[in-house]
Amino acid sequence: MSKVSIKKEHYNWPITILLIIGILSFIVLPLYMALMIAIKDPTDMNHILALPKVLRLHNFTDAWKMTEYPRKFFNTAFITIVNLFFTLITNSFVAFAITRNRKKSKFFRFMYYYFISAMFIPFSVIMLPLVVQANTFHLDNIIGITFLYVVFGLPMNTFLYCGAIKSIPEALDEAAKIDGAKPLQIFSYVIFPILKPTTATVAILSFMWTWNDFTMPLVLLSDSKQQTLQLAQYVFKSQFSVNYNLAFASYLLVLLPVLIVYIFCQKWIMNGVVAGAIK
Amino acid sequence: MKRIKKRKQAVDPIYYVIVSLMAVLFFAFHTLSFIKGIFYSFTNWKGYGNWSFVGLRNYIHIFADIDTIGAYLFTFRFAIITTILVNVISLLLACALNAKIKFKNTLKAFYFLPYMLGILIVGFIFNYIFANLVPAFGKAFGIQALSTNILGTNYAIWGIIIVTVWSSCAFNTLIYTAGLQSIDTDVYEAADLDGASGWKRFKYITFPLLAPSFTINMVLSAKGYLMVYDQIMAMTDGGPGTSTTSIAVLIYKKGFGGGQFAYQSANAVVLFVIVVAISLLQLRILEKREERLG
Amino acid sequence: MKKNFFAIFAVVVLGVGILGGCGKSNEIELFSSKAENKEILQQLVDSFNESHPDTKIVITAPADAGTVLKTRLAKNDIPDIVALGGDNNYKELQSAGVLADLSGEDFVTKVQDSYLQMVYDVNADKEQVAYGIPYATNASGVLYNVDKFEKLGLSVPKTWDEFMTVVDKIEAANEVPFLLTYKDSWTGLCSWNSMAPDLQPEGFTDDRLINKTTFISTHQEIAQKYLEILSHAQEDFMGTTYDDGNKAFASGEAYMMINGNWAINQFITANADFKVDMFAFPASNDPSRNFVTSGVDVLFGAAKDSKNLDVAKEFIAYMLEKENAQTYIDDQFAFSAVKGVEQKNPTVAGVKEDIAAGKVANFPDHYYPNGFDLSALLSEFSLNYVNGVEDKENIQTFLTNCDEKYDIANVD
Repeated sequence: MSKVSIKKEHYNWPITILLIIGILSFIVLPLYMALMIAIKDPTDMNHILALPKVLRLHNFTDAWKMTEYPRKFFNTAFITIVNLFFTLITNSFVAFAITRNRKKSKFFRFMYYYFISAMFIPFSVIMLPLVVQANTFHLDNIIGITFLYVVFGLPMNTFLYCGAIKSIPEALDEAAKIDGAKPLQIFSYVIFPILKPTTATVAILSFMWTWNDFTMPLVLLSDSKQQTLQLAQYVFKSQFSVNYNLAFASYLLVLLPVLIVYIFCQKWIMNGVVAGAIK
Repeated sequence: MKRIKKRKQAVDPIYYVIVSLMAVLFFAFHTLSFIKGIFYSFTNWKGYGNWSFVGLRNYIHIFADIDTIGAYLFTFRFAIITTILVNVISLLLACALNAKIKFKNTLKAFYFLPYMLGILIVGFIFNYIFANLVPAFGKAFGIQALSTNILGTNYAIWGIIIVTVWSSCAFNTLIYTAGLQSIDTDVYEAADLDGASGWKRFKYITFPLLAPSFTINMVLSAKGYLMVYDQIMAMTDGGPGTSTTSIAVLIYKKGFGGGQFAYQSANAVVLFVIVVAISLLQLRILEKREERLG
Repeated sequence: MKKNFFAIFAVVVLGVGILGGCGKSNEIELFSSKAENKEILQQLVDSFNESHPDTKIVITAPADAGTVLKTRLAKNDIPDIVALGGDNNYKELQSAGVLADLSGEDFVTKVQDSYLQMVYDVNADKEQVAYGIPYATNASGVLYNVDKFEKLGLSVPKTWDEFMTVVDKIEAANEVPFLLTYKDSWTGLCSWNSMAPDLQPEGFTDDRLINKTTFISTHQEIAQKYLEILSHAQEDFMGTTYDDGNKAFASGEAYMMINGNWAINQFITANADFKVDMFAFPASNDPSRNFVTSGVDVLFGAAKDSKNLDVAKEFIAYMLEKENAQTYIDDQFAFSAVKGVEQKNPTVAGVKEDIAAGKVANFPDHYYPNGFDLSALLSEFSLNYVNGVEDKENIQTFLTNCDEKYDIANVD
């Protein structure tokens, strides 16, 4: 890195090339390998990385049927979307209520610390009793687990939203209040629109959490009809046996929706994650 | 505390209603579970059937149980190594991505991709790489060290670390790049004039300015890695022996499968205390550091 | 923004409606702890479902079934029917008191008494009540590649010394005697389970339970021979998975595999022309002590409080019908617990006689306390061996660990 070259409008090619090599060998290679295995015949596995002799898309249809992909996809999408919906409306309002009333009432101050301190409790700590608890309330199904996600996301999301709401001048609410707006109206017409960047962050983090989560479905969802995509991969591990082609086709089917979302919203996702973390 | 506002403003009841409602739900499913866990830890309940109080027996047991101690040692070792590796690699990547490079946004997008992929499936994919691709490579080039499946050796922990680093670097890199972008280029120009470059510039200028990003990454990393679970279930199932059994895996497997529900509840309580202690300690140290540097 | 919310909300409500609609039909869950028999079980279940249009049995066969089952026990969410091995999983369910007493059913008389006794033996306090109906039994020992044995002119060894001679001959021909798959730690139990009944003192499992004896004072020879086997295994046996190993064995990469009859249909799937047979693991030099390790591979149980208990019983009776029992063991290369149903396949001919003559011993690990994870200990033992720890020291540490862990697990 010479000092002079930085000043000129030249691209730093050595670093660019190094980064490209890094991408090819560490990120593209594993995914390429997964794709190759997924489109090959089991007898064509001598050279793992070579292109298939015969393209075999059968693996995908087999995996699709075997794991009951549509149902698992629907379950996962249901959990993710419903969670997203309720998380965004409830958690943001809770954060709003807490931030705006913290100075006025002990109750909200207490609530703030209550939620924030719960961030320190990792899931493994409450896993055993939660399973018992969830059964008592019949939450061991996808509706129950969605509900639990909404509740369990509260500490982190409150934390993120509170940070953002603090920086919105209270004069805005006051103005709306003078116009006769009720708290819910102030929130939905004045505050929530301003919170868009934070909402994006919360949305991405919740989406990633619920879509890719494995532990909670593993301990809570016992009915095979209720399984999520991730859990199904684990459950079918032993049934894929040595048929890696089928297994990898199945893995790719699970990764695909996320990849598609990423390709189209990549910039938005990256900005969202940064905005949340830097706050 | 100055009371500037003269009249205490009334709080609209709707705030109370909604916050209380969420708080009650949160209490019932999160906090109550936590409290129940503490309760179970003083019993000999197996998760079903009869039980009785056993006092501190479960806790005393933890300190004499090689399996549990082994799981703690593994988890700490894993968390420390992974935290360091992830942060070093992410910093390097972030610096590289922040340099004057071509295709900047595309490259960044590629490096962030692993964040999107569930670690369970990433674990399955790497499982295959370690079991087939790497040994095939090792044998072809006569490299003894690479010709066995690393997950079946003493170094299985490194297999898990590699996968974790692979999928975690994305997030940390992104945070560091954001931190780097916020650094004013004037600072560098000034440094250039003073003759500071390379390592010196990084050490005295870049790194101190990155302190907030560093704090975030350290805190999030440590907490996440102490809970390592998915990748182990996908790759080694805790083996060979019990050498890659993390605390979270131990709680799951023995808590449900080994008839140690109460005992593992005690273990979970100990884990909680440790996580809180570490997080607080970290925040303190890093905040102090930030103050000093900033 | 608002419109979007309504759209999403509509989708959500619709979704809930669809889901609610799905859960209505009378579904009965059959929980199976075996991955190997999923297909044949499904086939039998399908034909049962056909003849019973008002009910539908659905199979659940998750990975790591033992843990999943116990998670469900903690949730008090017991499957209607269970198909388990006669091992700790069954023991746990039985002692939790969630299984129905099936002693009074007609089908109990169809089952061989000796196997029924095996199930009683694992019941809490050895209660003589049929909470589980033995269905298929297995055999654990040495699986060998018939063609390769013939090519080298090897005959089936009857004693440990003969066994070692066979191994030497194979190695002299520059080939690999054993293919082991210790990446999946349970497979490490197989040679232990085959040797322990032959070499451990009479009544060890009972005596150990009441602390009258220890592993370290009685299991030296077993541990020694365990290591001997490892020294003749393929490279990287610690990194080979069961699935990959089965495939490699079926393609002729080694002469022998120490596992059970349940692996055979995996070989056949990988290579339909594969010729394999079994023999009892000759751990002792006294041929009369070399038992075939055989246990209850699949037993059926029904949840006591299931509202479908009647259907569950009907299903068990259906499975025990001669024709169906035969279909099952033919597919699985297993042995039937049903009277008069015989395994005729040559792939297990080598152990069939012993089994018919009752020269069998149950799996010793079925008698160890729940929570004593011997497979993890054996895996550590094997890893130490690979790492070059001196045998004597390794054995000492391993057996000491066995006793310690056993005592911990034996507390409650």
